[in-house]
Amino acid sequence: MSISKITPDDPRLTAYALGELEGDERAAMEAALRDDPALQAAVDEIRATVAQLESALATEPMVTEASELSHAAIIAGHDPAKLDGGPLAKVIRFPQLYYLVGGLAAAGFAVLLALRPPAGQPGPKSVNEVAQAKDATAKSVKMAVSIADLQAPATARAPVALPPVPEPKPMPSAMPVPVADAGAYAGLLAQAETARQQVMQERQARIEAFVPSGPGSALGSSATTKATAPRAELAPMTYAANAPTAAYGGGPRDIGAMKLSRFGVAANAGKDDTLQGAVITGGVEMKVAAAPANPPAMNTEAYAYRRDNDFVSAAGTPQSTFAVDVDTAGYANVRRFLRNGQRPPEDAVRVEELVNNFPYRYAPPAGAVPFAASLEVADAPWAPTHRLVRIGLKGREVSTGSRPAANLVFLIDVSGSMDEPNKLPLVKEALRLLVGRLRPDDRVAIVVYAGESGLALPSTPVAKSAEIVAALDALTPGGTTNGAMGIQLAYDIAKANFVAGGVNRVILCTDGDFNVGVTSEGGLTRLIEEKAKSGVFLTALGFGMGNYKDATLEQLADKGNGNYGYIDTRREAEKLLVEQVNGTLVTIAKDVKVQVEFNPAQVASYRLIGYENRLLRPEDFNNDAVDAGEIGAGHTVTALYEIVPVGQASAAATVDPLKYQNRGAESGDRHSPELLTVSIRYKDPSGEVSRKLEFPLTDHGARFAAASADFKFAAAVAEFGMILRNSPHKGAATLQDVLTWAGAGLDGDAGGYRSEFLDLVRQAATLQ
Amino acid sequence: MSNEPPTPREQTHETTGLLERIFAEQRAPLTRYAARLLGDADRARDVVQDAFVKLLAQPRGAVDDHMVEWLFTVCRNGALDILRKEQRMRRFAEGELERAPAADTRPGRTLEAAETHASVLKLIDRLPPNQQEVVRLKFQNGFSYKEIAGITSLSVTNVGFLIHTAVTRLRREFAAERP
Repeated sequence: MSISKITPDDPRLTAYALGELEGDERAAMEAALRDDPALQAAVDEIRATVAQLESALATEPMVTEASELSHAAIIAGHDPAKLDGGPLAKVIRFPQLYYLVGGLAAAGFAVLLALRPPAGQPGPKSVNEVAQAKDATAKSVKMAVSIADLQAPATARAPVALPPVPEPKPMPSAMPVPVADAGAYAGLLAQAETARQQVMQERQARIEAFVPSGPGSALGSSATTKATAPRAELAPMTYAANAPTAAYGGGPRDIGAMKLSRFGVAANAGKDDTLQGAVITGGVEMKVAAAPANPPAMNTEAYAYRRDNDFVSAAGTPQSTFAVDVDTAGYANVRRFLRNGQRPPEDAVRVEELVNNFPYRYAPPAGAVPFAASLEVADAPWAPTHRLVRIGLKGREVSTGSRPAANLVFLIDVSGSMDEPNKLPLVKEALRLLVGRLRPDDRVAIVVYAGESGLALPSTPVAKSAEIVAALDALTPGGTTNGAMGIQLAYDIAKANFVAGGVNRVILCTDGDFNVGVTSEGGLTRLIEEKAKSGVFLTALGFGMGNYKDATLEQLADKGNGNYGYIDTRREAEKLLVEQVNGTLVTIAKDVKVQVEFNPAQVASYRLIGYENRLLRPEDFNNDAVDAGEIGAGHTVTALYEIVPVGQASAAATVDPLKYQNRGAESGDRHSPELLTVSIRYKDPSGEVSRKLEFPLTDHGARFAAASADFKFAAAVAEFGMILRNSPHKGAATLQDVLTWAGAGLDGDAGGYRSEFLDLVRQAATLQ
Repeated sequence: MSNEPPTPREQTHETTGLLERIFAEQRAPLTRYAARLLGDADRARDVVQDAFVKLLAQPRGAVDDHMVEWLFTVCRNGALDILRKEQRMRRFAEGELERAPAADTRPGRTLEAAETHASVLKLIDRLPPNQQEVVRLKFQNGFSYKEIAGITSLSVTNVGFLIHTAVTRLRREFAAERP
């Protein structure tokens, strides 16, 4: 080869670095390398890269261990009930098939080996006999295989949610075993037996995974079977349509066949790569993997790892700052798990979302301010020597008649994954409810997105609601999800119909399964963040279950100046889109931040309950460039602080007193009887400059029993969340205590939400 | 899968010990390889079992000098057969195909704090599937270009090109990961 032609980008250089070149080629390459330091450097780099590849690939898990992969029976995201009688939707595999083929293949293997006389020793049987015996074995293998082939389609149609557990099939007893080889046979038999036990254990583990689902087993199973592969570690190779045919050569193969590896899994794995930072994904895996006897994740739902806020010394860090959060999706999601008879994953439990799910009767603001704060303090019921502070914000109420006109764009995911009763049909129902609550001068457009995005309905006044409803009804699922393109189009339409001073909002309805186009968390949030600057707000509504990507939607809503809700039932849709429609649609303040300053003379240490991912640095409070939460009309926001008063043994990590600080400072009012001061910063929905409100609180030593009903109820919900999260701060309280406190805080229970909470606690108690 | 029964022959493998050793050593790597092709460990196990059954049916000496390579080839063909069969059965799977390119996203941003191995594996997972396959065969299973060419029915040059392209891309991406 010509030496002069070699560049660092020559495949031969890689081949050389890998030791694949021989003879003349190798010599020529070595000669070229001697003269060219750049090539030498390239070879070194290639080898360094390869060393990394080899060590990384060596860590990829093997799959023979029982626990590594579950027997995926039904492919993710499809309700097994829907397979009933209908055309076969997905390949369903059953353990029998595996067992039959696997067991008989092993048996055949054993027998074939056993049949062969030991080397150097004349066998006791004639060659002819051996051949006959082998023939018989071959037939039995063939028979087994054809049985398996026959069974496969039949069982595949069976509409069962739980995979049957066949008894282990005994080794075929009729197999000819040459006496002389009994030892070898026994050895192999033992091997086969081990393999069979492995299968049984694996099956048992899977059954255990199913059992907790109880009455909701159909739902449970579809979630469970999503654990087909440990994510990221075992993404199947995806044979893409655009792969060059030549690359797969292999004679007259149908290239189409190769496209059909399980993209369901592949897509999920891909998303996980992009959804959360690698660290966070790792945390999720770790958390879920903690489930006993069933290491693989139960489902692919993505929940970011959260660590409970710890106690912080008030002397060292007197200020606590966070962004308000009125999302309530966490509650509906926890409810879904409990209703299905499962304890929710700890990271799916967000205490502040549970607490904020319930309406509280805080006093509405008087005058021009958009909201008022109601502060209250009493014993922390789970730690009676501690104090519990409740900060309640109440947004100004806006009635349908007095709110500005709305320009809404429904952005609806109609991809294949939405084809489930609790997804697209529920979306339609929810949006019909919403349309029923709009004013005739409001406008609605519908954008759908799947493989391609499109305008299903141009912006139409609600006066023509029949057209809107007809367009909604006409939506059918199909295709893949290019969320990014749909978001573009929806914002374009919202901008084209912009109502100055009005409600301009994109309402995204999806299961969060973005899998085409811009799918990285960064890409989508950047897109939304940019679009949010146009003055169009976002409401993200999560539907369905299974591949519901909680964190994606929450991110999108946060970045899009929006709110986000999870709709699992018609009732939840009514709550968000009918009862609280104005709160959902009308934002009365944005970038709302709370800063609490604790008086170290009263407070030894404090702990913010929940809001783990909403914490801000103290200096962010006055920085208007830092994005924070939004408050809708009439919304309430509740935050709880647990406080260790001065004089109690502090749970905060002790720090030696500071030597150079101006202790006993004259600048501050150390002798103030106040416990703390709550400062709130907010911007008007269209404003860019924040305003500040201040509310001081003095502790008069109230007992929990004397606290308001709202206080008791919020404390009960917080403790419920901490118990579900297994928080280190949950104290000694039990779910029974939660029931007692919540029962004391029922207070008329408008809407029945609090009674429903009591039911949920009872349900959780049965799962303990 | 194994629709062809093993043909009875006068002689089977002489070297039972070798077979057992190969079975013990190669079963897990083969299953991992097949599972990646199929996206499913069950069927991967089936395919691997089939491959061993077929191995037993081979005439003595036919594959002895390249037994591991031969097993990978048979597994690959078995896996591709299954994938092809599935096409007929999975009417509602259309659309899944288009999702595949989604894995192609901007690496780097989300990997900062990840362990090196995990981030390397992620980068590998973003390679086109044909590159992934040869990269794994080369750097995980230790096959030579020539053996990979045998397994995948590609030419040696083609294998070399795929590996070169993948390594070059990964090299660039590793460099980008390190600020």
